[in-house]
Amino acid sequence: MLATGTCLLVTAGSVAGCAGEATGAPGARALAIGAENQYADVISQVGGRYVAVSAVMSNPDVDPHAFEASARLASEVSQAQLVVQNGLGYDSFMSKLEAAASPPGQRVVVVADLVHPHPGTFNPHLWYSPGTMPLVAAAVARQLARLQPSHTSYFEARARAFDKSLAPWRKALAAFAKAYPATPVAVTEPVADFMLAAAGARVLTPPSLQTAVMDGTDPSPQDVAAQDALLVHHRVKALLYNVQVTDPVTAAFLAVARRAGVPVVGVYETMPAPGYDYQSWMMAEVRALSRAVAHGRSTVSF
Amino acid sequence: MSVLHAVFAPGFFSNGPVQAALVMGAVVALVCAPVGVLAVLRGQAFAGHAFADITSTGGSAAVLLGISPVLGFAASAAAGAASMEGLGARQRGDRDLVTGTVLGGALGLSALLLYLSTTRQGTSGATVSVLFGSIFAVSAANWPWVLSLGLPALAVVAAAYRPLLLGSVSPELAAARGVRARLVSAMYLGALAASVALSALTIGAVLSTALLVGPAAAALGLSSRPGRAMAWAGAIAVVSVWAGIVLAYDSYSWPPVGRGWPVSFFVVALVTAFYAVSRAGVRRRPRRQPAGRGS
Repeated sequence: MLATGTCLLVTAGSVAGCAGEATGAPGARALAIGAENQYADVISQVGGRYVAVSAVMSNPDVDPHAFEASARLASEVSQAQLVVQNGLGYDSFMSKLEAAASPPGQRVVVVADLVHPHPGTFNPHLWYSPGTMPLVAAAVARQLARLQPSHTSYFEARARAFDKSLAPWRKALAAFAKAYPATPVAVTEPVADFMLAAAGARVLTPPSLQTAVMDGTDPSPQDVAAQDALLVHHRVKALLYNVQVTDPVTAAFLAVARRAGVPVVGVYETMPAPGYDYQSWMMAEVRALSRAVAHGRSTVSF
Repeated sequence: MSVLHAVFAPGFFSNGPVQAALVMGAVVALVCAPVGVLAVLRGQAFAGHAFADITSTGGSAAVLLGISPVLGFAASAAAGAASMEGLGARQRGDRDLVTGTVLGGALGLSALLLYLSTTRQGTSGATVSVLFGSIFAVSAANWPWVLSLGLPALAVVAAAYRPLLLGSVSPELAAARGVRARLVSAMYLGALAASVALSALTIGAVLSTALLVGPAAAALGLSSRPGRAMAWAGAIAVVSVWAGIVLAYDSYSWPPVGRGWPVSFFVVALVTAFYAVSRAGVRRRPRRQPAGRGS
């Protein structure tokens, strides 16, 4: 806090140096914000003891799409030296807050700009793709090194360690793809679609239905009938749904799946904390998927 | 055959949500029609609209509490009816003022409840579904409520048909009959509240007056006899709902392809079109005005 206050007094030209010097002092920590708590977790894992991180969206019962910014958040963002946000319109409120008031020299990492998703993709849930977080960790290490140049090697080592720690998850995905190739699944929302792709699964739910549920609009009767048919006729091995969204449409699909005996798997849009970090959360999602496909067991929540 | 296919896109009749919507939509339309005709004749169309706005509060509260929205719609419409009954003795200007203020407060409360539902509970579609509804999303679990609201409403209309009409033709004469007139009027407000709740379930709280008053207003342009107007209103309401469902289903292939337009839009647009045609007809062949038009 003190460091930021000092920085705001000096002229813009010397700010970068100021941030480095001021926070380079022993015990000084860079202030960082992750728009979603999974990004905050990565910042924390890379920044270690030299960064103080807070997350904007971390309540697992709230749909991040529907989040509205508060005055308190605005003041937090205005003090953060590093911000990591998803982009693709998922957390556009962050850009508004940064534009309104941010310290000069604030560094903003937009994850969508790192991973370059397929143009026109309707799925903003980038963190479910195994390739995403290593890029985020590298970008965070780079930005933190600019804020605190004396700890550069510390951040780089921790980013590498983070990459390595994802290996079990990648292996689990590859093992699933090998054991159950091209597994057909249904979803209510595109939350875990990137992970399903990495696991070699095929999502048979029409993309228009996924978008409608995600946006909170009413799905067309055609799409509802198509989804019901997938479940009733056992054309899919599992139904994945967003635990953080409760609406009549999702509830109806869950009821159809239960009646038809199709196992359901709850997936989370933000990290289910406490008790999980990004790695263990992703592992839990793969295990829940395997349990459903291999043993027909449902996992409603972790 | 190809014409049939052009009107009813493939899969229309075998589609589960469509079948459920056709049946429930017709039931709601047939309850709303006679109640709506009486509302227009008795000059209570505005009361119907007031209930509609108030139901948005009940619907949002129901979403927040996780209970069936129709319960919230019905409870708030009943509260509206009770307060309307309490206001009955007041002077017209004062009554409008009170109604307007209460409506503003109710809609403001809806804004808070919907905000809490979306931000605290993750019911992301709550705002659209409460305010604008979708008959395709009404689950079969609502049937007991639909019947327990609709049948008593129709029973009130059938049992108190004559006194209700007398109240519309000559409020003074009806009032002179004393306690019984007051009771009849209170029962009718209950039926009106029930119909608004059903209409809100079908096409959303904000649009619910359209199904209640629209077909009735159009029907009274076609016939000034109450019985015949009720039959017309029933036909217009059912046709609007059914054709709205057909158009919503067909709109799947309209831009943006694969999404479909909201069914509530089509229903309300058709009701409005019926009203416009009926008014145009009335203007072309001037005749005795139907007794007491909307407030």
